[in-house]
Amino acid sequence: MAPAQSLYPRSTLKRIIKAHSNKALAKNTDIMIFLDYTLFLQDLLREASIRSKQSGERGISARSIRRVRDMSLRKFKG
Amino acid sequence: MSESQSERPRVAPRNSNANEAPADGETAYSNLRQLAGVIPNPSTPFRRASSAGAILGGQYSNRTPNVAIRTPGTAARTPRGGPATRPVPARRGPPTTPHAIRALRERANAARTPGQNRRRSGRMQRETPRDALRDLSRILARTTKPIQPSPQLEQTPRRNPALDDFDEGPDPVAPRLSMALDDMYEDDSIHEAPPRQSLLPDLPDDVDNNTIQSLEMGRRALSEDPRARFATRISERFADLNELGIDANSEFEIDGTFLNRRPTFDNEALLGDGDEDGEVFTEENTFEFRAFMDQESRRRSRQGDLNFTGPPDNDEPDEPTFRFTIPQRPRRPSPGAEAGGDERAVDEDGEYDDEGEAILAAQLGDYESDNAEVEADLQAYREESSAIDRSLLSPAPEVTKKPGRRRKELRTSKYGLEYPTFPPATVKRLAAGFMRSHGNGNTKISKETLAAIMQATDWFFEQAAEDLASYAEHAERKNIDESDVVTLMKRYVTGYLQMPERPLTRLPIDKGKSMQIQHHFPWHRSSSRGSFCRRYVWRLRRN
Repeated sequence: MAPAQSLYPRSTLKRIIKAHSNKALAKNTDIMIFLDYTLFLQDLLREASIRSKQSGERGISARSIRRVRDMSLRKFKG
Repeated sequence: MSESQSERPRVAPRNSNANEAPADGETAYSNLRQLAGVIPNPSTPFRRASSAGAILGGQYSNRTPNVAIRTPGTAARTPRGGPATRPVPARRGPPTTPHAIRALRERANAARTPGQNRRRSGRMQRETPRDALRDLSRILARTTKPIQPSPQLEQTPRRNPALDDFDEGPDPVAPRLSMALDDMYEDDSIHEAPPRQSLLPDLPDDVDNNTIQSLEMGRRALSEDPRARFATRISERFADLNELGIDANSEFEIDGTFLNRRPTFDNEALLGDGDEDGEVFTEENTFEFRAFMDQESRRRSRQGDLNFTGPPDNDEPDEPTFRFTIPQRPRRPSPGAEAGGDERAVDEDGEYDDEGEAILAAQLGDYESDNAEVEADLQAYREESSAIDRSLLSPAPEVTKKPGRRRKELRTSKYGLEYPTFPPATVKRLAAGFMRSHGNGNTKISKETLAAIMQATDWFFEQAAEDLASYAEHAERKNIDESDVVTLMKRYVTGYLQMPERPLTRLPIDKGKSMQIQHHFPWHRSSSRGSFCRRYVWRLRRN
């Protein structure tokens, strides 16, 4: 990561969470949410790469991501 | 013979033992069979031309003269009837008389002539199936007659009645190929183009001429607009602007492809007051009105630009030289937008204002900053193109006018709140990092893959926000705290990361399936054991 570049747009994430939950966020909650999202993305890509390697693709195709997407989402459901 | 007769009744004539039959006891059919076995590829039938010569009394030979002399009785191997055989004199030998010598020479020359195979005397005469067939036909031709079908068929077959429909009836009148002089000046034909007027008809001012206020002239496609090539800087476009009807004295002006009459009412009142606008434009044609406003303001600015040192307009002495009206753009209403949305709106307005100032500065000849110049050029070009497109009366140029400045597509959550999308560049950066850590290093994330990841991202945020909201609700808090996020992550950790050690604790799986899991799944061999286990368990749980 370039140091000058921000890791993620905080206001955008806050707005997204706010819109979906209809609640305000405490001070640094969005950072924790982003951490959770990072874990989710890691899990999603890991599963997708496993799936794509099983089906013999190069790289990760959108199809493999679409297949593992529901599974990863369910894992991260509270 | 009877056998062949039963098999092939047509081939076995009763008088097959005629003179021309090859041998006694042989039918033509057996002859055919035999010959077909002997000669696999019969060549052209050896048939003499009828002009070859006459038959000499009963002595037939197929031998050439240079073959050894035979007695007349033994000469013919096969008696070949008819005029097809070549007559050969009885005594053969080297020709002695001059006539015979010449005839022999001519025959040799004719045999050497290419393309002529009439002389077949040197070849071996063979029995071909054709010969046998011919023999058969000669035998049968005496007794057989051509078949006459018992019900006499009609001579001409009936034609298809569907085809007859077109041709029946009297002949149509031949079309006249010249034009009648009387019909030349009839103008009630709907195929003719409507007459084009170069100017507007004279109408009183109070006539509602909204629909005929303009004459449409020849259009060019926008992509072929020659003015687009010259949209480099404003100072080069003065001639162009003059051409577009800057001349204030003329009664008509050209707006894009429209030829408009100059409005004669009070411009200042029109621009300033909204009520009088409503009077002038009685119909609710706001698009036309906006076009008119734009064009008016542009005309004013051009006039001011061109006659900068000259006297101002006659009718408005104290009108400011410049008047820049920002055209109202259709903006998406944001009913429930909170502070963020308002900030964005303010930002956009600020951008427009900056643009307007840049235009002013550029048109005044104040080229201090390059950015302002570029902005002014861009803006001028946009104005031109929009003036062209306004004649098409399509709102498309309003949309495509500022592709970069367009507001981000906002979606609405179930609470009616708008929210932006998470930036895909961030997601792509993160995903590229994870892919590198997972082994497939330099693989690019394709567009579709990114779209799928973005969809997953949206769903994840929606799901996480709902979960967090329910946690906060449960704790009777009004805002989402960090402890809610910790709880959410703990659910993930206890539910899945500890799964391989104790997979049966938290899952509602019956014991048979759990035993199946323990039995079938090779925990110890899996490199990414957590993920494999979890995927397996989830597959079971889904069922």
